[in-house]
Amino acid sequence: MNLKRYFLVFLLTVSLLLTSLPISARVVTDEPFVFGKVDQDLLSEINLLDERFEKDGAVYHDPVMDAYLNRVGTAVVADKKLENVQWKFRALRDPVPNAFALPNGSIYINTGLLALLDDENQLAAVIAHEITHVSGRHTYLRNRSLRKKMLAINIINTVGTWSPVGGAAGLAINLIATISPFMLAISVLGYSREQEKEADLEGLKSATAAGFAPEGMPNSFKAMQRDIEGEQINSFYSDHPKLQERVNYTSSSISADARKLSEDEAKTAKTDYLAVMEIVDRHNVDLAINEGRFRSAVYVSQKLVTLHPESSENNSYLAESYRTLGPRNAELTEQQLTSGAKKKAAKTRDKRTFEEIDAELLKTPAGQEAWKTNSQKAETLFLRALELNRFNASAHRGLGMLYERLNRKPEAAGEYAKYLELAPNAVDTERVRRRLAVLRESMN
Amino acid sequence: MRLPVRVVFVTLCCMFVHYDAGKVEAQYLHPKIVEKKVTIRSAVILPAKVEIMKESAKGSEMMVAQSADISKGVMEAVDQALKEKKISVVANSFEPSALDDSRKYQLADIQTRYDALLPKLVKKSKDVKKARFTLGDEVMLLNVHKDADVIVFIRGQGRVFTKGKTAFSILSFSLDFPLATITVGIVDARSGEVLAFTKPMNSSGVLKNKKSLNKMIQKSLKKLPASA
Repeated sequence: MNLKRYFLVFLLTVSLLLTSLPISARVVTDEPFVFGKVDQDLLSEINLLDERFEKDGAVYHDPVMDAYLNRVGTAVVADKKLENVQWKFRALRDPVPNAFALPNGSIYINTGLLALLDDENQLAAVIAHEITHVSGRHTYLRNRSLRKKMLAINIINTVGTWSPVGGAAGLAINLIATISPFMLAISVLGYSREQEKEADLEGLKSATAAGFAPEGMPNSFKAMQRDIEGEQINSFYSDHPKLQERVNYTSSSISADARKLSEDEAKTAKTDYLAVMEIVDRHNVDLAINEGRFRSAVYVSQKLVTLHPESSENNSYLAESYRTLGPRNAELTEQQLTSGAKKKAAKTRDKRTFEEIDAELLKTPAGQEAWKTNSQKAETLFLRALELNRFNASAHRGLGMLYERLNRKPEAAGEYAKYLELAPNAVDTERVRRRLAVLRESMN
Repeated sequence: MRLPVRVVFVTLCCMFVHYDAGKVEAQYLHPKIVEKKVTIRSAVILPAKVEIMKESAKGSEMMVAQSADISKGVMEAVDQALKEKKISVVANSFEPSALDDSRKYQLADIQTRYDALLPKLVKKSKDVKKARFTLGDEVMLLNVHKDADVIVFIRGQGRVFTKGKTAFSILSFSLDFPLATITVGIVDARSGEVLAFTKPMNSSGVLKNKKSLNKMIQKSLKKLPASA
């Protein structure tokens, strides 16, 4: 009986300790962080990973944008000098709106997020949030905490397996051994949510101290709330607080006498930001189309056309976005944005290829109507792009692909031929040449 | 009574995994290959992405450098297996250090395209036989050597157990094994159709042993017809 009690007390104590760890493991900012072997090992792996992003073509480079990110990032960092940290601010070629920091000081902002933000203040807020993760040593602390918990779980599992007790005590031990991994998940996520909140609030302070408008922080969350692809699905396992919650607590943290942008200032900030991001946004449209994020492609290229309506290239990007959107509607309806519909759509994306989803949608009246609208918009915009610049080769290629899909073969062949004439050394010359050959063969 | 049942169950699972790994029959061919409408004479192998994680009693750790070395080793094994099928392998023109930014981006985009399709390929591998999967003619943006008939994509995951983790796994009779799975996708260099897909699995020890690795890859491509 004593043995049974011993096991139960031991397991319950360890389990309770697990859930209390997040509270006790919070960052103590006043104490200097001391690197242990575990942290050094993690840092070495992170440095290699950082190099690999570069090698694998995951980092986007453009001299103007690189300098811009560096300017904003350096302003927010101010004079923060930390051991084993070298600040770098880079754009990651990923159309998913996200940003993250590596503990070595490399801060990555996805092109998808850069395209979603509206101005420099929002960008500064995002960078400030990530800088707090680095300066708070959040990755190291989380790693340390996780390692302790994993060890505890392994011990509990083993003790649970070998417990020589039966009856109610044995059942209780088994129950604890079974549920402890879930307790671990909850406690780790709780820990992470604490760090996220800290990063939001500390980030708000440092961005404001660097001279950026504090409303950039809540506004950046509002920008992220635009659920263009219908992928923001509420789940139990979320390591970030909900976006609306973040808008609320960051808004209420802004002091009443804080600097506020006038309407004109806000407008200028937006235009200036979009002008710097134009080239990144175009690149992001290509990435979004490649990854099947067609609605995001339309959203971003529409921004580009609004910025420079007379740009042949921007009109061509919007046209291409509508062409690839196919039988989908450009904006999700309220019905499509319900939790159930989003989960169903996510399941479909997991099971079906884009071609299969297209084919299924085209069987429905709504899909046919959407394709009719999108193909007409695409044609109008491609023609507009050519009106603005008749040497715009990509507009000819896009029109060729649109006509090919609409089974307007002679027109498609004509557009492909024009493209090859205008861009004989383009990267996709062989691809277009092959399409043209197949078309001509089918016409004979 | 509870303990012996669990021991028997784990032993049976171990035997199944060993048997399954030994068989390596997970090979799926497109009808064009089966019906010999397409013959593969030449291939380009894209940089492999094999991720190895170290599992200790305290959780998982990245092994970035080792993953890169093993990726190279797997590429060499695939290269050798194809050559044994008399399929010539075009010299690798995708060494990251030799690429400029735009070429790096093109390669990354095609790799991303394949990665997006991979979960479906793994889940419904049999559908390769129904000609269900394609990367589209976007693969031509890579501008691989004009003689290349196919592009080969290699992915893999492996877990290496520390002594501590092994001890805990044995003591708790967990169904946790240090396995390595490799997938090889062979894609038409022009149409982007997935012509062959294979997913051999073995213990992660195989990744460190060149001979065993070669044997595993060779077996996994057994059904692929040799070039005439």
